[in-house]
Amino acid sequence: MIHTQMVIYYSAKHGNDESEWEDGGACFPGDPVTGRGTRLAVADGATQGFGSARWAQQLVAGFVGADRDAGVEPPALSARGLHGWFETMQTRWHQDPRLAGANALQKLKHKEVGSFATFLGCELSDLDGPGPRWNAVALGDTVLFQVRNNNLIAQFPAIAAKDFGFNPDGVPTRPEALAGMLERLLVGGGDLVDGDVLYVATDALAQWMVETDQRDRGSLWTVLAGLDHPDAFRTLVADRRRSGELKNDDVTLLRAWAVTTRPAHLVVCL
Amino acid sequence: MGSYQQSVSRSDPGCVVILLDRSDSMKLLWANTGATLAEGAALAVNNILLDMCIKATTEVNAPVRPYFDVGVFSYGARLSTPGEGVESAFGGGLAGRGLVPLPELAENPITVRAEPSIDLMSVTAKMPVWVDPVHGYRTPMCEAIALVGAHVFDWAGAHPNSFPPIVINITDGMVTDSPHEGATLIEWVKRLTSVATNDGPTLFFNVFLSPAEAAEIVFPAHPGGLPPPGPDLFALSSELPPAMIENARVDGFDVQPRARGLAFNVGRSTLLKVLQVGTRVPDRPS
Repeated sequence: MIHTQMVIYYSAKHGNDESEWEDGGACFPGDPVTGRGTRLAVADGATQGFGSARWAQQLVAGFVGADRDAGVEPPALSARGLHGWFETMQTRWHQDPRLAGANALQKLKHKEVGSFATFLGCELSDLDGPGPRWNAVALGDTVLFQVRNNNLIAQFPAIAAKDFGFNPDGVPTRPEALAGMLERLLVGGGDLVDGDVLYVATDALAQWMVETDQRDRGSLWTVLAGLDHPDAFRTLVADRRRSGELKNDDVTLLRAWAVTTRPAHLVVCL
Repeated sequence: MGSYQQSVSRSDPGCVVILLDRSDSMKLLWANTGATLAEGAALAVNNILLDMCIKATTEVNAPVRPYFDVGVFSYGARLSTPGEGVESAFGGGLAGRGLVPLPELAENPITVRAEPSIDLMSVTAKMPVWVDPVHGYRTPMCEAIALVGAHVFDWAGAHPNSFPPIVINITDGMVTDSPHEGATLIEWVKRLTSVATNDGPTLFFNVFLSPAEAAEIVFPAHPGGLPPPGPDLFALSSELPPAMIENARVDGFDVQPRARGLAFNVGRSTLLKVLQVGTRVPDRPS
């Protein structure tokens, strides 16, 4: 049986506080008792939006099922299932009780602008069966990479390095914008074998990964597989920003390792 | 020419300065708006300041983010001590202040009142007001640029890695104090645009208002066809950085490479659009 070892690393844009990080990342390891599958999700909230961090983090938490106690079921990976779930997410975002404390400027921006987030949600299925696989949905330029034996075997969505930053797709908070956007929803998937690594990265980091894979693929995937502490990730990001290879933006990296062995040690970063 | 690629952040904020002509000719009615040039210009300035505050408003129970330091300076009639001169155009709690961090600006309008729509629709909306319409006396533009130059010099020294200061001059007339302290208007502008951060020299843009109905010329790439004082203002205006050219195109302007930050004979709604293009610093790297 395949197990997953998942970790999420993030770093706010250089010059901003960590509290100003406006992405979201979440994962759920699966539950054999309830039959719920393994899920992972990453979202990137729009810098120009209002409540973008809250929106991105609500989307990923809802997708992996972290909101089940509040009566919100995670969505099925179908257009119909996602449509209804996104509508529920929009309603919850607009009815957030914290908005009662908004001042006039905040009320104006909430009403007139709202927010928007790129989104990638992935489910791993049949991990104890004959055909383990991953299935994912995506809106925008948050990207999943599947790596096998240090080689990239799948990228979803398949965005070229030069095309990052020009993709207007994402999940809006405005109800009237949802239907049109869902027509642009992308669906992908692939088989999964022991030792595969899935990475999900927001746009700036994903662009760097696409570029680096083309010129130094062995080193790239070795470095990312070896990340073992948030500080190591932040050092990598800071170094690449200083060298000009990585654009200065919020970055998030979710790594999911598919393995058949249980970990020998449990490491908790404090 | 700098790179003009630095995005704004808490540690590397941007700087926007508006120079507002308050000379006597600003009392003329602005084409078919039914309002004076001074009223229209103040309305546009208040709109762009509100726009900047809204962009930096990101969450409930969180202050406006300090992504810009903002100044508005007027030349012509003074309010603080009656007569001709240059002063901060802010009133109320910000009276006399030079560059003000955006959160402080958002907290300190003179008042909140019903103002007409900028696009001439017959509607009003309550909005904060930081600058009132004023007109009188002549046009001491050199003195204004000298004062602003001192402010941006200090600011650039304190923010060496920021996007360079953006200075936008809104005027309807000819300079009346050139030469000032031995330097002509062109020389004062050269001094101003020699102030630089590591990301590039200060940008100086000009908007010329006309009371008469006339064809708008926005972001020209050459001075040909501009009536006086268009060619002079063209020579004073900085080239738009590539990111701003892209922003202008997205906003519907037909902008050629090497276009200057100059708008001529613009109406009120175009004035606001020009201010939006000119104050839109990258929020993320291009």
